[in-house]
Amino acid sequence: MTRDVHQQVREWIALTGAALTGKDGPSEAQQLQLQAHLRECDLCREYAETTSQVIRSLRSVPMAATPALVRRTQVRVRQHAQLLRQHKERLWMVGVACAGIGFSAAVTIPIMWRIFSWMGSWAGVSSPVWETGFGVFVIAPALLVSALLLARGTHLTDDAGRWRH
Amino acid sequence: MNAAALYFVNGMESETSAIARGLRRRDPDLLDRLIEQYQHRLLRYLTYLTGHRELAEDLFQETWIRVLERGHQYDGKHEFGTWLFSVARHLCIDSMRKKNPVSLDGLLDDTNDARAPLDPVDIRPSALEIIAQHEHAERINAALTGIAAEYREAVVLRFQEGLTLDEIAAVTGAPLGTIKSRLYRGLNLLMPLLKGAQA
Repeated sequence: MTRDVHQQVREWIALTGAALTGKDGPSEAQQLQLQAHLRECDLCREYAETTSQVIRSLRSVPMAATPALVRRTQVRVRQHAQLLRQHKERLWMVGVACAGIGFSAAVTIPIMWRIFSWMGSWAGVSSPVWETGFGVFVIAPALLVSALLLARGTHLTDDAGRWRH
Repeated sequence: MNAAALYFVNGMESETSAIARGLRRRDPDLLDRLIEQYQHRLLRYLTYLTGHRELAEDLFQETWIRVLERGHQYDGKHEFGTWLFSVARHLCIDSMRKKNPVSLDGLLDDTNDARAPLDPVDIRPSALEIIAQHEHAERINAALTGIAAEYREAVVLRFQEGLTLDEIAAVTGAPLGTIKSRLYRGLNLLMPLLKGAQA
């Protein structure tokens, strides 16, 4: 036997945990060759026995999660799931509100533009003046809503922090 | 493929598909069941990967939060456990990078850090047996933490969690050849440390 054969046998032993079988193991023909080699080679047989012993040692330490840890995790996951649901619902509501506002703006802005134009000519002010007034009228609600949403966002962050703790 | 194997594969696929659907819905009952089902395997993996029981327990909780948040990424084509270990592994690496940005081994090889011994299940048969059991667990722990993290991970996933080589490659993101090499080297490193260490 060459050194390469010993090396190959030991690699199979290591990969299969000395079982030499299983999904990741050698083919049946290879298994027969390996078994024959193990019968002849004391060093490789000792290697296989030591491997089995090491694996048995590794498996002999029981380690379990405590029921308290499992319960704590389940509660935390449920709370976080609820928080995510609330975020999703709020996002959905904001989305619906944005769509409504967009639709409403598309319908009303041309009408408001004409009203401002008529009011400008009725009051005798120049075009830039009533156009600026129209701009403020259109932008002011959006600025107000943005400020409210930002304030709301701060509260959401606080909520998230509270859930986490 | 024979009929029995086909039945088994189809059964497994339907189960993983059900898990994937439940995770997309963020079904809390499904998550409760999965937490119970994988509690010991996940904690054992994290404990051996980090070498710290307390850190492993923190990461255990974080892993399930991550599963809840990113459950839609699980495709249901592979075993859930493989994906779960992969999620846990990424969290573990992130956590260790935050503590020590140099490398994963840097933290694990820190000899100044007093590690809590791995906490085995205490069945309390007798005082002497408890002491022997703890000594045995500490010896195994010392041997495992004495080898590089990538070798330890491969050995734990293969021989404690019973993952196939392909599954280990999927969890770690390393090529199959690398996994084989890590297993072989890991076992060879453990042999002198654990020879005669049977419980």
